[in-house]
Amino acid sequence: MPLNRDDWYDTSRDLEWTLSYVDPEVAFPTRWSGAQGIPAEAWQAWDEPFRVSYRDYVRIQREKEAGVKAVSNALLRSATYEKLDPAHVAASQLHMGTTCLVEHMAVTMQSRFCRFAPTPRWRNLGVFGMLDETRHTQLDMRFAHNLLRHDQRFDWTQKAFHTNEWGVLAVKNFFDDVMLNADCVEAALATSLTVEHGFTNIQFVALAADAMAAGDINWSNLLFSIQTDEARHAQQGFPTLAVLMEHDPERAQKALDVAFWRSTRLFQNLTGPAMDYYTPLDQRKMSFKEFMLEWIVNHHERVLEDYGLKKPWYWDDFLHSLENGHHAMHIGTWFWRPTLFWRPNAGVSKDERAWLNEKYPTWEENWGVLWDEIIRNVNDGSMEQTLPETLPSLCNLTQLPLGSAASRHDLAPHQLVYRGRLYHFDHAVSKWCFEQDPERYAGHQNIVDRFIDGQILPPDLTGGLAYMGITPEVMGEDVYDYAWAKDYAGTESD
Amino acid sequence: MGPDVHGNVWLREHRDATRLRCADWDAFRDPDAVTYGRYVAQQDDQETYVEGLLEQFEREDHDAALGTEAVALLRRALAPSRYLAHGQQMLSAYLQQLASSSYVANCAAFQTADQLRRVQITACRTTQLRSAHPRAGFATGERQAWEGADDWQPIRRAVELALVEFDWDRAFVVTNLVVKPVADLLTLSELGRQCAEAGARLDALILENLWIDAQRGWRWTAALTRFLLADEANREVLQGHLDELAPLGDAMADSGGRLLATGSGRDAAEISAAVRTRWGALLAEAGLAAAAGPAAGTP
Repeated sequence: MPLNRDDWYDTSRDLEWTLSYVDPEVAFPTRWSGAQGIPAEAWQAWDEPFRVSYRDYVRIQREKEAGVKAVSNALLRSATYEKLDPAHVAASQLHMGTTCLVEHMAVTMQSRFCRFAPTPRWRNLGVFGMLDETRHTQLDMRFAHNLLRHDQRFDWTQKAFHTNEWGVLAVKNFFDDVMLNADCVEAALATSLTVEHGFTNIQFVALAADAMAAGDINWSNLLFSIQTDEARHAQQGFPTLAVLMEHDPERAQKALDVAFWRSTRLFQNLTGPAMDYYTPLDQRKMSFKEFMLEWIVNHHERVLEDYGLKKPWYWDDFLHSLENGHHAMHIGTWFWRPTLFWRPNAGVSKDERAWLNEKYPTWEENWGVLWDEIIRNVNDGSMEQTLPETLPSLCNLTQLPLGSAASRHDLAPHQLVYRGRLYHFDHAVSKWCFEQDPERYAGHQNIVDRFIDGQILPPDLTGGLAYMGITPEVMGEDVYDYAWAKDYAGTESD
Repeated sequence: MGPDVHGNVWLREHRDATRLRCADWDAFRDPDAVTYGRYVAQQDDQETYVEGLLEQFEREDHDAALGTEAVALLRRALAPSRYLAHGQQMLSAYLQQLASSSYVANCAAFQTADQLRRVQITACRTTQLRSAHPRAGFATGERQAWEGADDWQPIRRAVELALVEFDWDRAFVVTNLVVKPVADLLTLSELGRQCAEAGARLDALILENLWIDAQRGWRWTAALTRFLLADEANREVLQGHLDELAPLGDAMADSGGRLLATGSGRDAAEISAAVRTRWGALLAEAGLAAAAGPAAGTP
């Protein structure tokens, strides 16, 4: 019999050589490798957390591809899509528009590992990551392409990242930071370890379960299949953290603390509303908070503990934000619904409200009162009161609205003057992140800065929508046409 | 991100400042239209074929029966080539990450993966050969050969110099028009022929199979070059880079001839001349002229 993989694997990763015709510092600049301050021999301890051969990879992945395609083809011939709840469809459009091109950005991040990672072992593993992410991009595109005949909004799967839609800019900004502008070490800690090994479970496990419950077998199957790849290549972060803990633990702590906060804020925007408001009530498995606590918080704490790191200094702030931030993002996105490319569900009928209060004991006090105002206006026919006239102020770090990181009572300004310019933040922790590396973020204009700068004309909501590429056929409107508000007709206290 | 962060500056300097003119990079199409699904399916077929070869030749006890000339050739030229493939893997990945269009970037991504395939197959063969010929130096002496053997040095030098070409247009020329085609012609195609002559039939067949990947890599390279040459102003840029960088390929062809020469097969001059001729034909297919440097065209 031919050899087993383990017989030749060590030889296949024995690829380091001493460059002598060029300066190694030029060929492997630390600005990309992230290896500054770490002795070259330290990387010999970098050991793959999993072993896979090219031979096994193409065989297994071919089978996975065939499986996803078979389900998709079978469902194309059925009328499954027509039976889906429209609020669930909105969740899938939000996911597709904000995720597909992130997968494509991840191809490039993995390719950075292939070229600049400080050990050939990691450079080799990056190849499989690069292929995986190519797969995810193409799976999303194919899935969305098949649904275009039902809804033009699926065109935003590919289109969103070519627009200036504000939510998409926030997503792009985050991944520009942790994938494309990051050196290999930063990317391993922020993206592989924090986002892929932690947070993407919300997208690919929780949403996949919700999608299955909603009868969206096609999308659920796609998400689960993607997750099997993520779970594998996300492990690239662990050996990098191990090396960094030996030589620069402070850098590891800071990088993880920044990444964890930025990820939390992002997923409060991407997933919180989808899980707690768009998913039909009888199909919800867990609340966003419950899922975060079980899958993300426990996971992150375990990683920190295993490697001898401390919890982030802002842990109490994080827990407070976990109780509130996505509710704030939800009411904000629903209110600014003309700026969305999907149709948001308010998700505050009486039954849904009871569920929210059960899951979030402070919900009524923090958010119910605001929704009551909206409900009154809807039922009074004062629709103009439920719609925005201009844009909200945005954070110069997260690009998310000021006031959207905690409860409605937490509105103290967080500001900083840096090199003569005033920067605004949605939370003290966001400001702290900025301060850790101000040159990384300074100079960027969020969409409101561009508005004030005169780049968006006419300077009103109409100009803003045109700048964001929002067209009438995709513009967000309440997905149930306000039917949920009838629950309250004639029952308001005033 | 701030406009002057490292990533933005790198893109402005090494991608956006190119002298290549292209109104619509997204109009480029991979002639093989390789998607992820197609890639893993076709490569699974290729790997199944190679696996079959390995099993069949194992049954025949092929490695033990190899003659001295064959063992020496494989140790000298095949086993160290995993370093070359790793170099090409890094170079290909760079073409992906700075490409101006995903239509180009995807081609480079699959080309990168092809190199890892080659690294692993070479490592597998090296290990099998060590087992059949434990005293021949397999799996222990490759780094030394790659770093020190005279005939590998012009090849290693070309790879290293290519690694510091960060402008995308220059990186494309040095990688896909110089280093990779010459290296593939030498260490896949010509080496395969030499293996066959020396009785190393298994490696001849494996290299022939890896050559299929190299040909796919060449097809998109030639297509992209012709696509860019549709704007005549790009000819000066591409031909200029080629003329400047082609001596690296010439030196590779010269030393590669010596590296591969055997008594049973071609001699060094024949190999070098064949590689030069075939490289010139590839460049002509891409719409460029073989380099005008002093060594170009000389047999």
